[in-house]
Amino acid sequence: MLKRKKNKREGMDPHIRSLMKIVGEKEILYKPEDLLSYDCDGFTVHKAMPKAVVFPENTEEVSAIVRYCHMNNLPFLARGAGTGLSGGAIPLNNEVIISMVKMKKMLHVDLENRQAVVQPGFVNLKLTHSISDKGYYYAPDPSSQYVCTIGGNVAENAGGAHCLKYGVTTNHILGLEVVLPDGEVIELGEAGVPDRPGYDLMGLLTGSEGTLGIVTTITVRILKSPQGKQTVLAYFDQVEDGSRAVSDIISAGIVPAALEMMDKTAIEGVEAGTYPVGHPPDIEALLLIEVDGILAGLEEQVEHILEVCRKRNVREVKVASSEEERGRWWANRKTGFGAMGAISPDYLVQDGVIPRSRLPEVLQNIYDISRTSGLRIANIFHAGDGNLHPLILFDSRVPGETEKALKAGTECLKACADVGGSITGEHGVGIEKKEEMRFIFTEEELEAQMRIREVFNPYDLLNKGKLFPTPSRCMDVKKIVKETVAVK
Amino acid sequence: MLKEMVEKKATSLPCDSTTMTNYFSEDHPDEEKWADCVHCGMCLEACPTYLITGQEQHSPRGRVHLIKSVAEGKLNLNEAFADPVFQCLDCRACTTACPADVDVGGLIEEARGQVRKAMPLTGWKGVVSSFFLKGLFPHQKRMGAVGGMLKFYQQSGVQKLMRGSRALQIMPSHLSGMEAIMPEVGSPVQQKYKDVDVIPAKGTPKARVAMLTGCIMDVMFSDINQSTINVLTYNDNEVTVPKNQTCCGALHVHAGDRDTGRKLAKQNIEAFENDEKVVVNAAGCGCALKEYPELFKDDPHWRKRAEAFSEKVQDISKYLYDTGYEKPKSSIDKKITYHDACHLAHGQGVRHEPRQMLKDIPGIDYTEMSRADTCCGSAGIYNLTHPEMAKAVLDEKMKHVPEDVEMISMGNPGCMLQMAMGVQKYGRRSDIVHTVQLLDWAYQKDQKSTVHQGKE
Repeated sequence: MLKRKKNKREGMDPHIRSLMKIVGEKEILYKPEDLLSYDCDGFTVHKAMPKAVVFPENTEEVSAIVRYCHMNNLPFLARGAGTGLSGGAIPLNNEVIISMVKMKKMLHVDLENRQAVVQPGFVNLKLTHSISDKGYYYAPDPSSQYVCTIGGNVAENAGGAHCLKYGVTTNHILGLEVVLPDGEVIELGEAGVPDRPGYDLMGLLTGSEGTLGIVTTITVRILKSPQGKQTVLAYFDQVEDGSRAVSDIISAGIVPAALEMMDKTAIEGVEAGTYPVGHPPDIEALLLIEVDGILAGLEEQVEHILEVCRKRNVREVKVASSEEERGRWWANRKTGFGAMGAISPDYLVQDGVIPRSRLPEVLQNIYDISRTSGLRIANIFHAGDGNLHPLILFDSRVPGETEKALKAGTECLKACADVGGSITGEHGVGIEKKEEMRFIFTEEELEAQMRIREVFNPYDLLNKGKLFPTPSRCMDVKKIVKETVAVK
Repeated sequence: MLKEMVEKKATSLPCDSTTMTNYFSEDHPDEEKWADCVHCGMCLEACPTYLITGQEQHSPRGRVHLIKSVAEGKLNLNEAFADPVFQCLDCRACTTACPADVDVGGLIEEARGQVRKAMPLTGWKGVVSSFFLKGLFPHQKRMGAVGGMLKFYQQSGVQKLMRGSRALQIMPSHLSGMEAIMPEVGSPVQQKYKDVDVIPAKGTPKARVAMLTGCIMDVMFSDINQSTINVLTYNDNEVTVPKNQTCCGALHVHAGDRDTGRKLAKQNIEAFENDEKVVVNAAGCGCALKEYPELFKDDPHWRKRAEAFSEKVQDISKYLYDTGYEKPKSSIDKKITYHDACHLAHGQGVRHEPRQMLKDIPGIDYTEMSRADTCCGSAGIYNLTHPEMAKAVLDEKMKHVPEDVEMISMGNPGCMLQMAMGVQKYGRRSDIVHTVQLLDWAYQKDQKSTVHQGKE
């Protein structure tokens, strides 16, 4: 028995054996069957197999793994909960995946200075849960906050419904411990010092989509929970009225904590999902608007919002009467993407950003794209900051439909870029939108950014083939994808 | 440029194969079930085995991914597939968390059926499994005999002797742990009422209900069955205990033995054919009965009968809540918390009813347990087949059980045994009770006091 075990080890890939020495026998996956679940993240259009998945438990282990990969020319990348929607954690180059899920501790809470220190695998919503009894919370709230990790949020500079008022992840990061692509451990930012002189490297790292380094400790800003919250739900018979109301609310000087919109197809999806609210099936659009802050003045803001909606021919508008009702409205909204599974076998979510005032015309463009492609498109998005999420519904089992969906997605992004917008608000570029980077950047601008990457990641071993559309490399990458798929 | 880019993208697409390649052609996992999964990952934090291992293949979406991969021909029905599929507790917490209502539990059970067809259990595992699942649970008489033996063990002094000697120490820890919390065996209601057609209601009967006595329930927890009858009759229900009923088959289906599951299902469907309502006090059994139609996907005749049958099934707490029950007047002065059995909360959507029942009993100081609906690790016979994982899940569960409660109430026998082990392991002083027992005890107090008053 023992002898057989020893033989097994001997036949093993020497790299696996070395990695095993770093993390221990149980904290590594390397058999093809075990790796299969790691062939994609929340973006399922591309799939590729990793070489191994390792589960480090502290910074030293991460650093040792990275150093080993660096010395041995092995591609590698970091992965959190794997809920990313642009493919940032897909191992295109047979990477060693460094899973951060075992580093999931909250290390320290400093209420006086309003900050908390967490490990990267710590789940977003858990932070709020663990400090809410003391009257604090963590503001960035991506819809996947029930499961996504703060490390992943840093990599993608995640946003969320309440980022309209409070800003995205980068506005809440106070300090980072980072393992650089050669294994060196550095610290950025200093606790309690809001703005240090010199280049804002923390800003550079946040949202770098795992191409510049791997964060191992994160100091985040925590906020005092608002004294009061009021949530408004408004139903419109015309999409245009709904989108005009969005601009009107902001131009009226109100800064809602959140201002969300869903159109008819999206409503069909969420109502078929696990958290239906009972929205009327025949409305064309709904707005979910939340204001928060000190109690004085909240009522007034709500009145103001109701007035704006009425001016825009709202069919029905109501204020949440209890925390339970408010919770139901939000659960319905936040599980919206997943709920599309109930009305379509596959979907492709896009993440364009546009100037708010152009919302009616861009939505119209999107509906045109839907008509010409013959695919249904659901819109469920952060209207307040002009962050669109067209969800292109398709069935990958129908030959040619995936291609059609991709084409429609690209066209949606083009529509956003054409009105002076951007191709991503919060989901990142990853694999999905790297070609579309050309919509908003010139060759020179892209080149300049790639040079920055080279400073940190000169051998391009860390999360290679993501974020930028270098022509030659791009072709290589695609060849690799094709090959991996073919092998399977 | 746009066109060019799209074309480039399209050429790099993996081609999806949608045949049932590596599955047997009969009763394979249902494609429609996984079609709803968009891999969003919202299930991850709900899954006890993912939280412990951190590994995708032990998460709901990972398992769905693997089940789909077998159909796509990327994976075979082998040990590497069996491990994640059987490591699942079948607790259904993912079904609650899933925004698209993907029936992960159903997929897992179908996949297990396929695995057991491809690689039947051999060696001692096979012997043990077929002894319990085929030779024992479905047979009332044999179960009764086991009950008799256990009773003898407990009452004759052998148990005392065993506990005093070192014999228990050489047993694996999870087994000696179970021995330690074994409930006192009473008399099965099946035997007690074998000559009674209808157990009369207390007052004018408002309904007649049939009761599933369960296989283990009636041997190990016959007092709970008795309480169930008491509470039903107290609330003016006539109760019948159909003779030909058998084990619900949940454990068989969980273990991948779908053929035996089907056989038992047919027997129960027939046994309860003439009854309008089937009341169940074991969450796992209730859930299994409600899911009988799943077993007959390829058999329209039996599927229809199974559907009609499953409509009639209701958990005792839900039945009492829906039809109304008398609020007891006597008080039970205890600090109590409630544990959601997975197959009650996630499986049948029954959460509010048992809690309300507790709150309706005067004197009960109710404390809500955090994460009350996370699995305790019992999961049918999971704690026997996967003792290590079951232990880790239980440890996690115990962190959420308030320390100062005198009783932990729940609606499933498996959970009761597992939670009793947890209480013992952590040196707590909480009694484990079935929700219906508390109501019965309060009613009994009521009756005593009226008798008493009558005498005065």
